[in-house]
Amino acid sequence: MAHWRPVYAVLEREVVRMVRQRTRLVSAMVRPLIWLFVIGAGFGAVLQQAGGVSYQQFLVPGVLGMTMLFGAMLAALTMVYDKESGVMRMLIMAPFPHYWIVVAKMLAAALAALLQASLLLVLLALLGYLDAHMRFGLLALALLATSAACAGIGMLVAAFTRTLDNFAAIMNFVIFPVFFLSGSLYPVNRLPAALKAVALANPYTYGVDLLKHAVLGVLPSGMGADFAASTDIAVLAGFTVAALLVASWRFSRESAYEPMIRILTGKRDG
Amino acid sequence: MNPAPAIQLAVNASGLVKRYGDVLAVDGLDLDIPAGQFFGLLGPNGSGKTSTIHMLATLIRPNSGSAKIFGNDVVRDAVATRASIGLVFQESALDRTLSIAENLRFAGLLYDLPAKVIEERSAELLALFGLEEKRNRPVGSLSGGMRRALDIVRGVIHHPKILFLDEPTIGLDLPNRRKIWRFIENLREQTGMTVLLTTHYLEEADSCDRVAFIKNGKLVQSGSPAELIASLGRYIVEIESPDVEALAQRLMPSLGNHLRDGNVAHFRYAHDDVSRLAGLQTEPGIQVSALRWRQPNLNDVFLWVAEGKA
Ligand SMILES: Nc1ncnc2c1ncn2[C@@H]1O[C@H](COP(=O)(O)OP(=O)(O)O)[C@@H](O)[C@H]1O
Ligand SMILES: [Mg+2]
Repeated sequence: MAHWRPVYAVLEREVVRMVRQRTRLVSAMVRPLIWLFVIGAGFGAVLQQAGGVSYQQFLVPGVLGMTMLFGAMLAALTMVYDKESGVMRMLIMAPFPHYWIVVAKMLAAALAALLQASLLLVLLALLGYLDAHMRFGLLALALLATSAACAGIGMLVAAFTRTLDNFAAIMNFVIFPVFFLSGSLYPVNRLPAALKAVALANPYTYGVDLLKHAVLGVLPSGMGADFAASTDIAVLAGFTVAALLVASWRFSRESAYEPMIRILTGKRDG
Repeated sequence: MNPAPAIQLAVNASGLVKRYGDVLAVDGLDLDIPAGQFFGLLGPNGSGKTSTIHMLATLIRPNSGSAKIFGNDVVRDAVATRASIGLVFQESALDRTLSIAENLRFAGLLYDLPAKVIEERSAELLALFGLEEKRNRPVGSLSGGMRRALDIVRGVIHHPKILFLDEPTIGLDLPNRRKIWRFIENLREQTGMTVLLTTHYLEEADSCDRVAFIKNGKLVQSGSPAELIASLGRYIVEIESPDVEALAQRLMPSLGNHLRDGNVAHFRYAHDDVSRLAGLQTEPGIQVSALRWRQPNLNDVFLWVAEGKA
């Protein structure tokens, strides 16, 4: 049975919080633009322009992906903050199965990612980084699928994390590797074998690849998309469903009740 | 098909057990609460009140035993159970970053209430609790008493059939405790809601229809406050002496068991002629430095129960 009003409540709260936390929103826009201008221009000067694409142009799908990755991760990790605040108490006493909290939170994280990426897209268009050759239908699909997959990564981390004390660890051991070991900064097909193997196992790689399909297309130089768009979509969809199932299982299985006691009583140990 | 029971039970629990590792928090608890009753679960810190409420509220699973809330099994029909209960925890369940109105909207939507109904009920309840002026204030800026009041409003926005209040006045000063108290009474008057309250401020339980004392996870005594108080006797006699032990030994045959509180011994006295005890002060062989008597109260019941002497 679906419980859409509660899901709506969680989505609405996410949007309200996003709009109120201006600095979070501003840094979500500034971070990718810095990459584009600083890293993009810097490396662009060193690297040769390959196959008609400047390095900056090559980076556009990567920074769009970055916005979604960071946006979804931060939104999903508010679940950890919620565990420590009263909100999770409201959620677990509400009349729906507890896995439904994961469904709602994952949708909220995907929505946050999608809204931030859309805002960035507008900025990029205004700055002249988008051109008319783009495949807009595919772009919309890529944004949706990548937001969902990033929300999946975020929910997996949130489901296995107790406190935000280890947020720095999450940055270092999850967000950065996921970002760097994808095709965001370099074509996957040019990576050394070991790194390539990691990138192939990284679901986020396929999100960036789908964005490349939409923004750059497949280029003879190899600077465009690396995989077939259908492969990207299949991997992203499969991963999203798997992440949802694992996070829901983790949250509603019997022993997950004991951490819930901690939510209820504010006891950290025991 | 079972015939409908003559008295509908809001809570029907038997043999509830909750263990945390080696700690036996709740030890075979039986509890029946008829619909509409104002019930107080009383006991010292660590006696298992919160664990009991959390089991009844489906939030933790009993290790054994079973419980039904208005006929719904708390383990098998957890979702249906949660729909019929309202919960106010010791720890507040509010989002400090949202306003009062936004918190109630969030809570109401979680109970699948339409926005319009939430609006109406929020207005009504906030008026009842004197919070309507502050509806757009962020919860983080409210005082402890107002936040607790809002937490109760949040707990009843979906018109639950039973409200669980786990130490609703803990950490509040006396004026705020009184205020919260009045809210709960108004709420009961208006809705006839069943209320299960835990507290260790025993004077707050005087207005309960029935109270039960819990100790080490077991119910040790229950009844109406008046009955329990009457069962102690007419008076509590407090006798202060430099040698309480000797005094207690001496009076044991006539006054029975005593409770000791420093150099004061408490005795129960069943008859009206308590003033005749004044003679003790001049009796040879007993040293009495002070002697007074008073009506017993729930605190006394609790102390006698806790000592296992009631
Ligand atoms: N999450 C927990 N882990 C371990 N022990 C717990 C936990 N919660 C409660 N306890 C223990 O169970 C006993 C009963 O606690 P509780 O139900 O909170 O009692 P009360 O609400 O009457 O103070 C206490 O000894 C307490 O320390
Ligand atoms: Mg307690």
